[in-house]
Amino acid sequence: MKKNSVLKQLTKSREFSLVIVLIVLCIVATIFSPSFLSPTNISQIFRNNALTMILSVGMLCVLLTGGIDISIASILAFSGMTVGMLLKYDVITNTFLLFVIGSAIGVGCGLLNGLIIAKGNVAPIISTMGFMYIWRGLAYVISNNEWASGADVVGYSDFGADGSMGPYIIIAAVFIIGFIVMKWTKFGRKIYAVGSNTEAARVSGINVDGVLIYTYVIMGFLSGLCGALSVSIYASAQPNMQYALEMDVIASCVIGGVSMSGGRGSVVGTFLGALILAFITRALPLVGIDAIAQNMVKGVLILVVVVLNVVTQRMMDRASLERREM
Amino acid sequence: MAGRSGREISIASPKTPVKRILSWEGALVLIFIAVNILGVILSENYTVANVLRQMPRYLAEIFILFPMGYILILGDIDISVGSIVCLCATTACFAGNAGFPFPVVMLVCLLTGLVCGAVNGAILAKFTELPSMIVTLGTQIIFRGIAEVAMGSGGSISYTNSIDLMVLTQMVGPFPIVFFFVLISAVIFIVLLSKTTFGRKLYAIGSNKEAAYYAGIKVQKIRFIVFSLAGLMSGFCALFLLSVLFSANTTTGNGFEMEVIAMAVFGGIATTGGKGNLVGGFIAAFIIVCLRVALGLINMNTQLILVIIGLMLIIAVLMPGISQRIKGMRKTVK
Repeated sequence: MKKNSVLKQLTKSREFSLVIVLIVLCIVATIFSPSFLSPTNISQIFRNNALTMILSVGMLCVLLTGGIDISIASILAFSGMTVGMLLKYDVITNTFLLFVIGSAIGVGCGLLNGLIIAKGNVAPIISTMGFMYIWRGLAYVISNNEWASGADVVGYSDFGADGSMGPYIIIAAVFIIGFIVMKWTKFGRKIYAVGSNTEAARVSGINVDGVLIYTYVIMGFLSGLCGALSVSIYASAQPNMQYALEMDVIASCVIGGVSMSGGRGSVVGTFLGALILAFITRALPLVGIDAIAQNMVKGVLILVVVVLNVVTQRMMDRASLERREM
Repeated sequence: MAGRSGREISIASPKTPVKRILSWEGALVLIFIAVNILGVILSENYTVANVLRQMPRYLAEIFILFPMGYILILGDIDISVGSIVCLCATTACFAGNAGFPFPVVMLVCLLTGLVCGAVNGAILAKFTELPSMIVTLGTQIIFRGIAEVAMGSGGSISYTNSIDLMVLTQMVGPFPIVFFFVLISAVIFIVLLSKTTFGRKLYAIGSNKEAAYYAGIKVQKIRFIVFSLAGLMSGFCALFLLSVLFSANTTTGNGFEMEVIAMAVFGGIATTGGKGNLVGGFIAAFIIVCLRVALGLINMNTQLILVIIGLMLIIAVLMPGISQRIKGMRKTVK
C-alpha cells in the first residue's frame, strides 16, 4: 500500500518528478565533473540563465490564460537597445533609472499586446508575432547601425557583473512574488480561472479582458526588465540580442509542466523546468557532447518530456478507469 | 457572410461584382495594386522586368505558404518549416559536393523534407493530446541542430558545383522559372482545397475535430499527410533558395515559418482553424513580395520593412473585429 502511494505521488505531482529528474541530473554531472555542484558553478548557471528564468514566470501567466507571447525577445531587444543607446550617449547613467525606463518600455509593449488580444479578439500567437517583427525592427532603427559595447556601459554593467548580487536578487524576487501572487492572491486565482474555462470565468463575474491585459502587461514588464538586465549582465547591447529566446522560455515552461491549452501549471514547476534546462545546457559539455550538438539534444529533450507527460497521463487515466470498473 | 468583414468564408460565393470587391480577396487585390502604384512612385527602377528579376529571392518562401495554409485550416501550426529548409539545403549541399548528379541531389533535398515533415506528422498523429506548437518547437530545434552538427564548427557549407543550380535560375522569357513552379503548385493546392473531398475534409477537421471524426474522416491520417506535405514543400523551398544563395548556413530559413504564417493570416486564414482560403494567402504573398522589392529598391532598411509587414499583419487581423463593431453600432442606432 505504501509503495503504491509513493508511485501515486510520483505520477500525480509534477514537481516531485521534476525534483527527481534534477537530482539524477546533478548526480550524473557530478560523476563526470566533481566541481559541478560547487557554489561558483551554480551561481554561474543562475547568472547565465537569469533572463530565461525571469521571463518564464511571465510566460507561465500567459500560458495559464491559454495564450502565448512570442514577442518577448523583441521587447527585450527594444528595451535593451534603448538602455544601451541612452548609456552610449551619456543621456542617463543612473542604473536604477535605466531599469525603470527599460521596464516602462516593456509595460507599454505588453499593454499594446494585451489590448489587441483582449479587446481586438486576435489570436495571441498572431498578435505577438506581428509585434515580434515590429519591436525587433524598431530596435534596429533606434540602434542606427551602432551597438553599445563594454566601454559604453561601464558602471552600469557593475550591477550584473560576475560576483554582483544583482541578477540573483531579481531572480529571487520575481519567483517569490510570482509564487505568492499565483498561490494566495485573488488575481492569481483569476488567471487560473480564465485559463481553465474562459466562459465560466466570465459568467462568474471575472473581468476576463482585464485579466488578459494584466497578464500581457506583466509579461511585457518582465521582458523590459530583462532587456535592461541583459545589457548589464553581458555588458553590451546589439539589436539582435537574445534572438529566439522566447523558444527557450516556452520550453522551460513546458518542461515544468505548464499546459499549452491553459489552466495548468505552477510557479514551482516552472522554476524547476527552467533549472533543468539550465543544468542540462551546462552539463552537456561535461558528459562529452559537443557544443554544436547541444541544440539538437535540447530539442530531443523537450520532445521526450512532453511525450512522457502524455504517456503518464494516459496511464493515469487508464488506472482511474480500472478502479471505477472494480 | 462574406461582406465587409469578409475574412470569414461563406458557403455561397459572392455573385455580384460589388460583393466580390468587398470580400477580403477583393480588398487584397486592391492593396496589391496600391503597393505596385507605390512602387512605381517610389522608384523609377520599379519596372516589370526588374521586379521579376528580384523576385526569386523572395518567391521560394511561397512554396511553404500552401501547406501552411492547410495546416492553419486544420487548426494546427507548424513552426519547424524554417529549420526543415535549413536541413534540406544542408543535405543538398552535401549530396552535390559528394559528386552526385543533380537530379539525385534534388531528390535527396525533397526526401529530407518529406522525412522531416513525416516525423512531425507521426508524432502529432500518435500523441494527439500534444499541441502542434510544442511538437514543432521541439523538432524546430532538432532539425536545425542536425544541420548544425552536419555543418560542423564552420557553420556553413557552400555548393561547389554551382553550374548545376543554374538550371533552377534560368529565365523563360521575362519570367524566372521559379515563378512557374510557384504558379503550378498554387493551382494544385488551391484546386485540392476547394474542389476535392480532401479539401472539404480539411475544413471539417478545422471546424470541429470531434464531429469530423464521427463523420468518418480519418483525422489523424489527414494530419499526417498535411504535415508531410509541409516538409516536402519546404524541400522545394530549400532547393530554390539554394539556387539563389549557392550555400547554406546555420541561419538559413530562420524566421521563414513566421513570415509564411504572416502571409497566410494576412490572406484571411484564421489560426483557429476551418476558415479562409489559399487564394487570399497567395495574393497576400505577392503583396509582401512586391512591397519588399519596392522598398528594397529605395534601399530601405530591411528591418524597417519587417516593421511595416508586422504593422500590416496586426491591422489585417484587427479589421474584422473593428468592422463588426461598426456594424453593431449602426444596428443600435437604427
